[in-house]
Amino acid sequence: MLSTKFTPATKLSKAEIDRKWWEIGDFFRRNSLWLLMYCTGCCAIELPPAMTSAYDMERLGMGPMATPRQADILLVSGYLSLKTLRRLIYTYEQMSEPRYVVALGSCPINGGIYHDSHAVINQLDQYIPVDVYVAGCMPNTEAVMNGFVDLMDQIKHKTANGWKKYHANFEWYKENQRNSLGEVDVHDEFHE
Amino acid sequence: MTNSMNNLELVKKVVTEAVPVLKIEEVDKQQLAFEIDKRDVHHVLTVLKTSGWKQLSYMSAVDWIDENKFELVYLVFNWEVPVYVQVRAKIDRVNPEMDSILPIFPGVKYYEREAHEFFGIAFPGNPDYHKQLILEEWDDIPPLRKDFDPEAYSDRKFPKREYPADFSVVDPKNKSIEKRKERKARANALRTGGKEQ
Repeated sequence: MLSTKFTPATKLSKAEIDRKWWEIGDFFRRNSLWLLMYCTGCCAIELPPAMTSAYDMERLGMGPMATPRQADILLVSGYLSLKTLRRLIYTYEQMSEPRYVVALGSCPINGGIYHDSHAVINQLDQYIPVDVYVAGCMPNTEAVMNGFVDLMDQIKHKTANGWKKYHANFEWYKENQRNSLGEVDVHDEFHE
Repeated sequence: MTNSMNNLELVKKVVTEAVPVLKIEEVDKQQLAFEIDKRDVHHVLTVLKTSGWKQLSYMSAVDWIDENKFELVYLVFNWEVPVYVQVRAKIDRVNPEMDSILPIFPGVKYYEREAHEFFGIAFPGNPDYHKQLILEEWDDIPPLRKDFDPEAYSDRKFPKREYPADFSVVDPKNKSIEKRKERKARANALRTGGKEQ
């Protein structure tokens, strides 16, 4: 008599096995997110309370990371000047996949109070894909934490696909970057 | 030396003895502004430096578009006598040019590069005034000139967001609860990819 303890394994296709592994990976990934804080603007002031004992993002399993290569989230906090955007694109392309982008404040959404500035871009998702926007000028720390929980939800439901969009629409993103920046490569006396 | 009035008198004496002054303005108790000819700038800055005003705190320009002039402002500070001295000189707005004060204050190097970038003023004597510093790959007239329109530039270069749906409540008598439900449904759809929670 066959034991019921060891049921024979059903044959799974390669795609199904991959999907299962991704689900396992996503479970662990969304509970251990490491942030690369690119503190471009004033919304960075919301991060100290979010990190420390007031809201304590470590209870969500999140922590700061020093280098882009080991970070999961690129956190853009505030307005982006053209000069910063060049470095941000460098940083984004250095990150390992899967990578997510969280943008704080109204400036990356539609320019905010800098909508008519010659130096500040108006819409971040034209240049790199953004998974979560946290609106507000500046957003509450509660809103920032809610944005992180939203991102975890998105990873759970497999809708945090920004990095896949970047691959699929790479030419479109590059063209937008070139139209606004002229050239994405940095040419200054410190890089030569 | 502790009395601020005496300090101001001392500065006035130092400057007016050195060069002809067009206008003196007392900005406040710790700050004096002298308007002089652009040819006297190097002399008066040398005199001030040897009298103790050895720190160049700032150098910038002002665009007086109605007079068709740029005004250069040099701000020097003395650590013994607490008075800031502004040295102002007007230069032409067309082909603006000013000899560099790099031999007097080496720290002016980056201020002159900044003024060249934002106003288009040339500084012969400074070996790399023409290099880019803050703006990268700039393709228009210098942006802090008054005839530059930043909004037109922004509209031309940066894509603007278009909103497909309007969730704002214009009429308070209208039921805002419907709008709120609609907004929440859309937010939920974005979060979960259309699946029900």
